[in-house]
Amino acid sequence: MKKVIPPELIPDVDYEILEVGGERFLQTNEAMFTFYKRTKGEQSPFFLALKERKVILGARCPKCQIVRVPLFELYCPECEFETMESIELPDTGVMNSTPPITYFAHSLFQHQVPFGRGRVLLKGADTALPIHVYTTKGILTPRIFKKGTEVKVVFRDERMGMPTDIFAVPLSELSGKQQKKRGLQESELDWTSPEEPSVPKPTPETTKTLKQALTKLSELAGKVATSERAQKDLKGWKRSIQVKTGGGPFGILIDDQKLSIQDGSIEAPDFVMVCKDPGLFEDWMDFRESLTNAIIAEKLWISLNSEFTTVFKLDRLPRSLKRT
Amino acid sequence: MREVAIIGAGITPCKGRWVEKTYWGLSQMAVKAALEDASISIKEVDAVVYGIYNDIFELSAIPEHPLQGIIGMANKPGMRVTCGGATGAYAMLSAYTWVASGLYDIVLCLGVEKATDCFDFDSMTSTPEVIKTIGWSGDTFYERELGWTASDSYAEVVLAYMDEYPDDLTDEVSARITEILCQQAQNNPYAQRHGESVTAEMAMNSRYVVYPFKLLETCVYTEGAGVIIFAEAKKAEAICKNAGCPPIWITGVGASNEHHVAGKDERHKLMHRILSDHLAAQAAYRMAGITEPLKQIQIIELHDAFIKQLQITMAEMGFVSLGRSDDLINEGLMVPGGPILVNPSGGLTYGGHFVGGSNMFSCWSARRELIDKGFERGLVHGTGSTVAQYGCAMIIERRN
Repeated sequence: MKKVIPPELIPDVDYEILEVGGERFLQTNEAMFTFYKRTKGEQSPFFLALKERKVILGARCPKCQIVRVPLFELYCPECEFETMESIELPDTGVMNSTPPITYFAHSLFQHQVPFGRGRVLLKGADTALPIHVYTTKGILTPRIFKKGTEVKVVFRDERMGMPTDIFAVPLSELSGKQQKKRGLQESELDWTSPEEPSVPKPTPETTKTLKQALTKLSELAGKVATSERAQKDLKGWKRSIQVKTGGGPFGILIDDQKLSIQDGSIEAPDFVMVCKDPGLFEDWMDFRESLTNAIIAEKLWISLNSEFTTVFKLDRLPRSLKRT
Repeated sequence: MREVAIIGAGITPCKGRWVEKTYWGLSQMAVKAALEDASISIKEVDAVVYGIYNDIFELSAIPEHPLQGIIGMANKPGMRVTCGGATGAYAMLSAYTWVASGLYDIVLCLGVEKATDCFDFDSMTSTPEVIKTIGWSGDTFYERELGWTASDSYAEVVLAYMDEYPDDLTDEVSARITEILCQQAQNNPYAQRHGESVTAEMAMNSRYVVYPFKLLETCVYTEGAGVIIFAEAKKAEAICKNAGCPPIWITGVGASNEHHVAGKDERHKLMHRILSDHLAAQAAYRMAGITEPLKQIQIIELHDAFIKQLQITMAEMGFVSLGRSDDLINEGLMVPGGPILVNPSGGLTYGGHFVGGSNMFSCWSARRELIDKGFERGLVHGTGSTVAQYGCAMIIERRN
């Protein structure tokens, strides 16, 4: 069984003594934890309908006819607390506004980044349903979901009666049959990995740009070896990254506090980065661009969403070196 | 209602981490500084209001209880206020109300937060755990499981605003505001980012945390404390005369909390608005007799959780039109030497953001500007909760 608190997040009972300004201070590992058997109470029909019937419930006021979804109220506060009636909503609608995409999350969600959390106005509803948004076409970037984007609510195969039992995908990514199907499930979607973008053949100019970038990257790797702060950024991390650029390929190797750069192809990389312009890496080192932002702007492609964590670690390096 | 004035204020230095102090010690430091500023004894204070946002940060469900005795307020009334990011503003509103109502003559308002004791043992850094802790503040039935954070919640509002006004909130303007705030923080000896130099270009190129928020355009996490002391008119005048410092009068207050669920009209959250800020400011303006805020207010200490939110809030409070917040820079409104001074403390992005006391920090700074620079009128603002649901505004004035 999955644990309420992931065991790897639980620290040992321990203490340490820190010195600040010549004085000693004691610091202890502690936690504030409470376990719950939390009732969903009057909200239960909504979650049970998701789990058991693949249906989205809302509530309608018989007096003012307002339709609120999810089913979060017993009474209508606008109509002197008239009793609301439960109704079924369709599973298609539009984005209420452009949804934010989280790139830096807390510990419970950091392995899911990037993820989008938006609100869908289902057909006939006056309030918007909070929901995760996904694309079946690769990395989630701000280009995909906008205000008014038509979406369909899709159901997880395994449902627990949670808000995460459902998510929204752009209607345009579905076949006509899928668009019409009620209770569409995630396993019915085509999650096939998008093709790796191609890069143009090296030209004398891009080859020169890559050579410059590699020289500076090697210098940066050398500085990491003398920077405690930068080493801390890479502590306990091991990755081999194949970078493919318009000037040719190279490798970035992270090995617990050490960084090295290798010209050409590397064997069995953990993941791949692709960008047409090798000058991107010079821009990155000179604070003109971050790798995260380059991915968001679709100037840089990575083969695994989960490797955003590595991208964050790399993004910290130039700043850490500047502060060293 | 009685007239109320601020007679003293004190803050601690803003630090990302105070290993040397607990929130008890920080509270004592700020109280001591404020009492010295007002030249009064704690024995003269009738009651205390505490602004402490989050139980989890302090590892206590009643975090104010140990403070009562150690700040010298044993056997006197004390009440804690918690209203998300707007905790400090609402705490000051409560302290003001206690005095204005005639219930107490002198009320001390203490805001404190110790955020970065929280620690993520997975990444071996504090920030993810701080974000997680704040993550317990969202809607726990429908949104927390989706990864709700303060950042993505405010990003929803900003993105929705950008849907309505796609030509506003340009990155260039937000970056320039960031640069100005960083420069202004250098005049605040207590600022967390004192000594830093962040240019517009650096802000522009810093990485996204949550789209469209960039790292250098996002508030810091701070540990610290701040105190504002409120008094009724006669005592205020006598105390301030003794201290050699003018009383700063509270002439307007306003607050508003929106619905937390997004919808099509104002019965629910209109995602592209921060209606709470608009309504709070309008209420405060009515009370203070302000009809043209841009002409009548010279200094603003605004709760800038994020730079683009600062811009929207300035529009909601009537300093520019909705959809024209870039005029803050393009029309020179808040550039150095412009008609309004915004966040001379460096704001919450460059000055400091110890949540329960951040608005006291802002108030401390606005009062300092009125006293030191001879401005007539200032505005102190707080925002908080999911989707900028809570708004609170206070008008302060110096009478010559």
